[in-house]
Amino acid sequence: MSAIGAKPAAGSAMDMTATIIGIIILLVIIAATYFLVGPGMAFMALIGVIAGGILIGFGVHFVPVGGAPAAMGQAPGIATGVAMLAAGAGLAGLFGGAWAAELGIVVATVTGAVGGGLMMAITCMFVNFIYVFGMGIPSASGKVARDPITGDTQAEFKSQGTEGHGLPFVSYVGGVIGGLFGGAGGTLIYLMLLEVYTEELPGMMNALPGQILPIAVTLAGIFAIGMFLVNAVLAAYNITGTIEGPHDPKFKRFPRAIVASAIASAVCGMVAIMIVAL
Amino acid sequence: MTVKVEKIEGGIPHNTIMVAGLIASVVLVYLTYANVLTGTQYFAFFGGLATVAALVWGSHTIKHLCSYGIGTGVPSAGMMAFGSGVIAMLFATKYGIAAPIVAVILAAVVGAILGYVANNVLNMKIPVMIVSLVEMAVIGALVLMGYAAMMSGSFELSALTTGSVSILGLSLPSYQASFLGGALIATAFMLGGIAIQHPFNACLGPSWTQDRMLYLAAECGFLSMIAAAIMSMPLISMGAALVSLFVAVIGWYYTYAKYIELSKRDAFSWLDSKPIPEVEGQ
Amino acid sequence: MESIVFGIGITALAGALATVAGAAENTESDIGSQGDPNSQVQLAPQMGYLHRIFNKAIAGEPPAWGLWIALGAGIAWAFMAMQVNPILAIVLGAALATFVQGVYATTAYLGRTASLAKFGQPVFVDVLKSMTTVTMAHAFVAIFATVTVCHLMNAALGHPFPLPLLGLVWGIALGAAGSATGNPFYGKERQYQNQKYGAGVPIAASGNIVRYAEAGERNSLDNGWFSARLGGPASGVCFGLIVFLELWRTVLFEHIAAGWGAIIIGIIIILVFMVIDRYIEVWARKNYGPYGKPAEEASS
Repeated sequence: MSAIGAKPAAGSAMDMTATIIGIIILLVIIAATYFLVGPGMAFMALIGVIAGGILIGFGVHFVPVGGAPAAMGQAPGIATGVAMLAAGAGLAGLFGGAWAAELGIVVATVTGAVGGGLMMAITCMFVNFIYVFGMGIPSASGKVARDPITGDTQAEFKSQGTEGHGLPFVSYVGGVIGGLFGGAGGTLIYLMLLEVYTEELPGMMNALPGQILPIAVTLAGIFAIGMFLVNAVLAAYNITGTIEGPHDPKFKRFPRAIVASAIASAVCGMVAIMIVAL
Repeated sequence: MTVKVEKIEGGIPHNTIMVAGLIASVVLVYLTYANVLTGTQYFAFFGGLATVAALVWGSHTIKHLCSYGIGTGVPSAGMMAFGSGVIAMLFATKYGIAAPIVAVILAAVVGAILGYVANNVLNMKIPVMIVSLVEMAVIGALVLMGYAAMMSGSFELSALTTGSVSILGLSLPSYQASFLGGALIATAFMLGGIAIQHPFNACLGPSWTQDRMLYLAAECGFLSMIAAAIMSMPLISMGAALVSLFVAVIGWYYTYAKYIELSKRDAFSWLDSKPIPEVEGQ
Repeated sequence: MESIVFGIGITALAGALATVAGAAENTESDIGSQGDPNSQVQLAPQMGYLHRIFNKAIAGEPPAWGLWIALGAGIAWAFMAMQVNPILAIVLGAALATFVQGVYATTAYLGRTASLAKFGQPVFVDVLKSMTTVTMAHAFVAIFATVTVCHLMNAALGHPFPLPLLGLVWGIALGAAGSATGNPFYGKERQYQNQKYGAGVPIAASGNIVRYAEAGERNSLDNGWFSARLGGPASGVCFGLIVFLELWRTVLFEHIAAGWGAIIIGIIIILVFMVIDRYIEVWARKNYGPYGKPAEEASS
């Protein structure tokens, strides 16, 4: 994406003190919300938003993204930025989920998940299509000797001087799972906020629920997109830009991304809910 | 991929730009309040100028942050800024006249928590991470508030949510034809999100110069303001929208010409229809 | 029944428009060297390879296209709110968004190239003039088609999101699909045509991009010509399939079993694509063979 390639010094270890402080911040936010709005729907919405954020942060780790080297067949993965690829899939899922919003929360969330997974399934298939039929390159992983799902050996399919290329099957599955999580998370945030806004806005603005619907949809939609981007970028920072999929050693860093996503979503979600609840 | 991590040398120090940008954008957002005082909408263009001031500041913050190498693309930082800024900004619009101040404070708090999360929980250990994310969230909130004030004439929630539709000459109130109801905030989000990261993304390299980047930031701001002025046409009076458009086009033309001039100054050479120059030793 | 037939028609139209949009998007970004292949265009002068390739680094493709489409949609929405005919409004929106795209493209090229002064890379004004207009033409096609898709979703299929929000969502998806599919074809196959076919570019060769054409020096229009043969259409089919299948499963099957119908169909589609992908992967392994044995040189 950009020519800035210097890798940050971020290690893979977890900073325990910081994590504990982070969890305390998270609990304080949840307690403050409970104290301010009570145990009603708004509070449940915050929990839903946090869950959605965690799904997004976790899901990004599955998406196989190679960044700039992938465009030259120098590294496996999809040749684009991780945050934006996840956003593309998650927002495609959000599109489907928002459409199914009136069918209930479970159906809508699953629809959103399938929408994100569908987008990734098609995109990843075309990535391999281009590699194989456009460039004559078979897929190979650089991080593992055997594909954990199919058991195919990888090393001898890696061309000289590269770290691998294309999407081995495990990366493909990872991409689909990432899309599923991203779509579900984005949709969950949207649904939770939409419910709060459709409930509270008519009273707040002295208007009929039908009149207020466009406002509620826009507010919930733009917040879902905003929180999606925040969580996806945080997860991208965690994996320092590139990852091969669930078999990559960097995948083991996901616990701290979950903590990070929970805190970030809690802060953003609390403010978003307070717009109507305070 | 081998651009060196460069430090800011010479030029205006970052803190000066930050203070100037913060004061200028808050003051300019407040100047749109003249609309309420005078009962017109002709002062809406001050909102656009506020976004230009905030974006100039923001481009320098991105430079400050990304010179450390954050591991993923420069654009993601802009998305982060607006993702956190939009929430603080919309919350603040509830507070009427105090909205810009509330937006700045709340965005700073949200940004500080996100910065702590990124720097400590995710273990990024970048010295300017927390400060930068605070600044970015504030900038995101101020830019969006500037666009909101520009497109709907005021930065209060009621003005952002209600518009009017004229059907057969009758003017009817409508929630759909408003800054929020029509989701113009989504466009404002992307206008700001690209404009904030573009100056540094476009000017990075070993021969980076500060004045060129800042002029580009102003150019991006005015260019976005042109688009915002056109989108404000159905929401505020046509005269006010044309005033905004006029200001934006003048500002854009000046900064664009200036940017090309500076690029000419900094470029190795400026060739028209010439082959690739021979490099010695090849 | 009639509404379903209507929905299918809209779905097919949206899919076709999305295919056009994806193809135009990828060709546009390849002419501008946007996205990841940009890193090599940026790197080449540092390694001593001066070139005449257009270097339009606006952002990654997904955010940049998020802006162009959201902007086109926002302006189209504004004109529609002023009672302008939707088609005219979309054309005006796409035209203004294309103007913004063109200005961004020129500033990106000037900025990146001027910052490479240390390595002696000159600014070629003729490159700027001839390439920007071509990318703007492609961008107009892509923006117009995608904003129309969004308008169809909102107005004809009744999606609750207002037009600019749909523009943001599908703009980012368009950029993601186009860059994922098209980037390797341009980045490996065109920029590094001098490297061995059927293998990745060795990291040691980075920056040594092809700078000369069949006649004279290569410029980005040659790259657009090349990627329009496979990378562009493949991106188009990719984005078209995403839009079409997403709408198709919803329009046809959402009313079956209270929404679960669309979900099951979606899962089946995902599994079908998974099988196709696995087939492609195995086919490549079998037909190209490993790199290890010299007798089975990858491809021929």
